[in-house]
Amino acid sequence: MNPLIQVDHLVYRHPGSGEALAPALNDIHFKIDEGEFIALVGANGSGKTTLARHLNALLQPTSGKVLVRGMDTRDIASHPQIRANVGMVFQHPEDQIVATVVEEDVAFGPENLCRLPKVIREEVDQALELVNMSEQKRREPHLLSAGQMQRVALAGVLAMQPQCIIFDETTAMLDPAGRRDVLNRMADLNRMGITVIFITHFMEEVILGRRALLLDGGKLTFDGSPQALFSDAELITRSGLEQPAATRFYYRFPFLFPGIKSPTADFNQLLESIPVYEGTLKAPARPATAGTDNLPNEIEIRDLSHVYMEGTPLAQTALVNVSLDVKKNIPHGLVGATGSGKSTLLQHLNGLYRPQHGHMRVGQFDLTSADLDVKGLRRYAGLVFQNPELYFFEQYVGDEIAYGPRMMYGAEGLRERVRWAMELVGLDFEGFKDRITSTLSGGEMRKVALASTLAIRPSILVLDEPTAGLDPRSRRNLLGNLQQLQGEGVQILFSSHNMDDIAEMVQNLTVLSKGESLVTQPVYEAFTDRQMLLGAGLEQPTSVRLAQGLRYRGWPISPTSVTLRAIADEVTNLVDGGSDE
Amino acid sequence: MSEFEFLPSATIGQYIPTGSVLHRMDPRAKIVGFGLMMLAITFSTSKIGVGIGLIAVIAGILLSRIPLKFALKGLLPPLPFMIIIAVLQFFFYPNPGTSIIFRLGPVVLSVAGILSGILIILRFFTLILAISLMSFVTSTSEMIHGLQKLLTPLNRIGIPTMDFVMVIQVTLRFIPFLAQSAERIAKAQASRGAEWGGKSKGLVSRVRQIIPLIIPLFTTSLRRSETMALAMDARAYGFKANRTSMFEYTFNWRDALFILALLAIAATTLFAPKI
Repeated sequence: MNPLIQVDHLVYRHPGSGEALAPALNDIHFKIDEGEFIALVGANGSGKTTLARHLNALLQPTSGKVLVRGMDTRDIASHPQIRANVGMVFQHPEDQIVATVVEEDVAFGPENLCRLPKVIREEVDQALELVNMSEQKRREPHLLSAGQMQRVALAGVLAMQPQCIIFDETTAMLDPAGRRDVLNRMADLNRMGITVIFITHFMEEVILGRRALLLDGGKLTFDGSPQALFSDAELITRSGLEQPAATRFYYRFPFLFPGIKSPTADFNQLLESIPVYEGTLKAPARPATAGTDNLPNEIEIRDLSHVYMEGTPLAQTALVNVSLDVKKNIPHGLVGATGSGKSTLLQHLNGLYRPQHGHMRVGQFDLTSADLDVKGLRRYAGLVFQNPELYFFEQYVGDEIAYGPRMMYGAEGLRERVRWAMELVGLDFEGFKDRITSTLSGGEMRKVALASTLAIRPSILVLDEPTAGLDPRSRRNLLGNLQQLQGEGVQILFSSHNMDDIAEMVQNLTVLSKGESLVTQPVYEAFTDRQMLLGAGLEQPTSVRLAQGLRYRGWPISPTSVTLRAIADEVTNLVDGGSDE
Repeated sequence: MSEFEFLPSATIGQYIPTGSVLHRMDPRAKIVGFGLMMLAITFSTSKIGVGIGLIAVIAGILLSRIPLKFALKGLLPPLPFMIIIAVLQFFFYPNPGTSIIFRLGPVVLSVAGILSGILIILRFFTLILAISLMSFVTSTSEMIHGLQKLLTPLNRIGIPTMDFVMVIQVTLRFIPFLAQSAERIAKAQASRGAEWGGKSKGLVSRVRQIIPLIIPLFTTSLRRSETMALAMDARAYGFKANRTSMFEYTFNWRDALFILALLAIAATTLFAPKI
């Protein structure tokens, strides 16, 4: 039987790039059979999206060939058929929705293929049913949540009845529940016989695939099972990725998981294989983290409510009676599903919104007072937006970073401020100041965004989803930067959909759900409450589940250990301590 | 209302799905019917006629189950302009006739002038309400489909109506895009010290605030339209000049009745006796 897709020594150079530069895709060679489930991984800028776009003829090879069901993608006449066969869901759902009503957007593909009205109606209803969006079919897309929009985008592809669907970082911007939803749907579609190819930066997701393709600098450096991929630690690190948390733990303490052969086995299986602890039962060494209750509050929020477009039929409640305290110098996290009000709350801290109801104080700034020094507040609490690189407004890196300090402090010492901020995030001043922002890699752009806010020297740094869309290496770098800043006395407050980020970075955590603040607790307490997290559309970090699994088998792991490193240290301690006796 | 909300909050141009009988009408009937009404209201010279038109439009709003108060809010923004026009009409009416109230050089306040001013206000009110009502009960997509069907005959003489309609559709899709982008860029600049917050200080400073938004708005829009073009490509747009449509509208007796009723009201509006 013919393969579904055959990629034959594909080379691709971006139009206008000279022969001197390495091609974006270099001699790629593989084939895909019907019904496969493939994860496509690689660092930011390694060529994943470029490769994906070759598979449904959005791009054509510079040399080499791509065949879809035997049709050459260079043959324009076969494009409609290729695109009906291979559908694509993009990363930002709002950019791929064409129509002003959900169901009409879903109908767009079939209409282009000139199917009959009755057939289209059936396909649209079916597709919407499949993604659970039937009830929203008459709504306007821009009023939907990110997760819902992503489902509409998927329905639009499904309605064309494709044999293969490519998901291009579809889960990058979603909350844990939204991610689970997309992942389950991918698996369901695959069971229905649809070939699924997905691009992701979440290493835990890669395990879902039955095959993994790894790109590094435009070259295909690995083609095999995810198990084989993750057992090659050296290759993984070289490619800017990392092993999933559970895999890392498995390799560090293989004796904890007797009988498990595969490092990427199902996580529940891993937990169940943990042997009962037989060492001496010493009370868990409680690290000397005193409670933070006695520390002064840096930020106080009481009964804050916010309604968008108040007084119109489109009014939308974003925050309801939110109350929380942020302790001075204690890194604070904010988690909640999409639409739970995180961004609205963070933007209040920066004075972009004023409290409609309730009170809030940030440092010495009272936001309810009429003569609030807004500029002073913005200098005090710097804000880094979600996907900040989408809103760069200067052409050169240096100018972008200089914008804030120029507005805040004027031209004097500007150069030094920019240099200071760039060096803080690890960007070489001379090397980067004259680079054009749009030519940077994803990780570099995020650094520029961070430096742009740091350059105004805020006392509090507020970040909205700082790691979303970054590959593991860039994410690690960024978290390292933030930890360093916190060490230097900058108060970090950030929101994330990635629970592992939160576990590593913060001490106190506020959980938001549907605009209400559920709890503000030390992070180890909040993460132990599985029901509360699931109810809020979240999940426990892998490390916390692992710690609970160990404790369940009698391992005296301290209740305050939430990071993989802390848990690993304790296990090492217990094992070594045991062998000493 | 926050200073960063750019999405138009005007009541005109909003679709409010209440599922009323007017909402379920064939879009072609709505386009033709409302078109007739608007023509009649515009060209009627009779106060009674325009009054009848106003009553009909208000009845339509009630029938559409849209809160009347909400519909009337749409009259507020243009109100100052209408008052100015009416006042000009009061004092500078060209044929003051005999019943003059007072005269001061070229300025003449006459009964005829007052009546004519009232007629103008009445006419604008009615037109604005009619347009709002049309937008309340017709979604942009229905409007597009209706136009598409009504324009189909033009295909035969070689005018690509399909592309034309697609252009309208994508443009409409981009309005919330633009509002959203403008909001984000404004916030990004404000949070780094640009003068946005606080009280707005008159027209000049507000215009000055807008200027730095324009270029980034351009670049982000270009980037987004590129992605959208790609997404359209990926979904096989442009495969054939004539796409099919999921919607089949059947023009039934109710739609015919609707047009006839509106035709009758329009005729009364147009030909009602003057006082």
